Amino acid sequence: MSTDLLGLLVAIPLATAIASVAVVRHRHRQRVLGLVSLGSMLALSLGWLLDVRDGDVLVSQMGGWPAPFGITIVFDSLSGLLLCAGLVVAIGCYVHAFSVLDPETERRYFHPLVQLLLVGVNQCFLTGDLFNLFVGFELMLMASYGLLVLGHSRRQLGQAYKYLLLNLIASTVFVVSAGLVYGMFGTLNLADLAAIVDARVVSGEGLPPGFVGVSVLLLFVFGAKGAFFPLWFWLPDTYHTCPIPVAALFSGLLTKVGVYAVARTYPLVFAAGDARDVVTPLLLMSAAATMLLGVLGAVSQDRVRRILAVHVISQVGYMVFGLSLMTTAGLAGALYYMVQHMIVKSSLFLCCGVMERHTGTDDLGRLGGLYRRDRFLGVAFFVAAMSLVGLPPLSGFFGKLILVREGWNDRWWLSLVALVTGLLTLVSMLKVWSKGFWSAPAPAGERTTDVLAVGSMRGAYTGIGLLVAAAVFVGLAAEPIYDIALQAGEQLTDPTAYIEAVNPRALFAAGGAGGGG
Amino acid sequence: MTTVLAVCVAVIVTVSVYLVTSRELKSIAMGVFLLGHGANLAIVAMSGSPVLPGGLLRQPPILGGGDLVDPLPQALILTAIVINFAVMGFLLTLLILTARRTSTLNVDELALEDPPSDGPVLDGEPGRRR
Repeated sequence: MSTDLLGLLVAIPLATAIASVAVVRHRHRQRVLGLVSLGSMLALSLGWLLDVRDGDVLVSQMGGWPAPFGITIVFDSLSGLLLCAGLVVAIGCYVHAFSVLDPETERRYFHPLVQLLLVGVNQCFLTGDLFNLFVGFELMLMASYGLLVLGHSRRQLGQAYKYLLLNLIASTVFVVSAGLVYGMFGTLNLADLAAIVDARVVSGEGLPPGFVGVSVLLLFVFGAKGAFFPLWFWLPDTYHTCPIPVAALFSGLLTKVGVYAVARTYPLVFAAGDARDVVTPLLLMSAAATMLLGVLGAVSQDRVRRILAVHVISQVGYMVFGLSLMTTAGLAGALYYMVQHMIVKSSLFLCCGVMERHTGTDDLGRLGGLYRRDRFLGVAFFVAAMSLVGLPPLSGFFGKLILVREGWNDRWWLSLVALVTGLLTLVSMLKVWSKGFWSAPAPAGERTTDVLAVGSMRGAYTGIGLLVAAAVFVGLAAEPIYDIALQAGEQLTDPTAYIEAVNPRALFAAGGAGGGG
Repeated sequence: MTTVLAVCVAVIVTVSVYLVTSRELKSIAMGVFLLGHGANLAIVAMSGSPVLPGGLLRQPPILGGGDLVDPLPQALILTAIVINFAVMGFLLTLLILTARRTSTLNVDELALEDPPSDGPVLDGEPGRRR
């Protein structure tokens, strides 16, 4: 099935970004433009997601060039779910930003940068070839560098370089690996690569000697973007310094794109043959270390922002756990976990922002009595925190249940690590809850700011409400969403439908030619 | 030809790794840019060698030579160069801004700029809002 309109998901935010720059003096016009763009993208993705629910794969060949030659855009269950979740997160953070960003920062390119970030993220989710995945990464990163130093305070400038340089180096490695893949197979189209690799493994011809190396190099690249175990050090400092709506947006989108890239390319291409024996143990160990060390880091922190930032790492571990199983249910579990985590984590960051506005600090030692002061915030934070921990009716529970059950037979030790991590997550979230919300208010002298007028924070509360409602929805509608995730998992473990939809060898079909370029 | 390219890439990457490990942000930035060039050269090698086994050069397509080097990696490099260029511009701007704000570009001193007891930045102090 093919549709030529898929490119809209990249074109709309790009056009909006340009239009926002044109009206950069008027922040209300920029807001309206941005909301129209985000809303229309969400509507389009939801519509297409319903189309692909039964296992269809929507494909759009840019400019009419057939697959291995042109740019292919693919919309299947995997990209559809993540696009929708990403856009929900973006809308929540965007509305929240209206009332918390200071007007000058907002006017100076917050809106175009958010749209550009979405150009990159959407392209990553949609692209059907390795090189455009690189281009999508770069677009996303350029926008994220800009958002990271938004307002450019001294602290932001000092901390930005860690993130910037690590990503620059990772991107360079990505280009080299893409070049190596092209040198080996003569194509960069993922469906084409999958077909060639599969044919070579089945026929016993074997894969080129450098294949395992490239596979590990790419794992380094995606691991750096996704904050997997040894490559996570940039994350806490980065999220600590930037404005809250930006931190929330990053926590929902950036690391997940790294995880998505692994989920897309490894079952399809890079975990074939010998590479599987190398990549799987790496992923398994990385998953265990990311989960456990991440949560231990979170338990030891005393500042709400750092607790949440380090939790992002720990939660990425769960997703890697699902990916490392490389089974249908494991991949589906990882995907469901990603969807719920994107929404829950962003709403927690937004709550943390309002806590800071109330008290002027995020230091747990100086917080207190917030529940009495702001019931809505207390309830929203509690629901989101319990979703993160995984209390039964909420979304985190289903995500963890699927993963632990799937891992129990083969990798029981990893499932145990996941359960212990869940317990420690509960400890750290209860710490925030009891010290920040439940305890007696801090001594009056410690309060640095007055109680906020509710009117000026309308956007902030709307954003939080939207995301918490979405999180509850993901928990209540766990079955239909998991069905789509399962569909995606099946398509990843058996890519026949994907390859047929992209049809990379259509032009050669008559001559029967195949194999490497 | 491929050997020459391989040696070039090795030298460039060595120099850039040396630069990236320095404590001065200017050198680190230069190192990262060089690394990008090294990566592009590595992709050029994927086009295949323009020197035929007999020592003759391949005919360029404009002269109607039928036996061409693969042009696709060069298209990839063009994209990579443009992206690299944009990143370079951004990074240099950020360096200038940082130098103006903090009057240092030393990594250790920049790390000191961040006193751990300080609170997180508020997104525009509430007092300033209207």
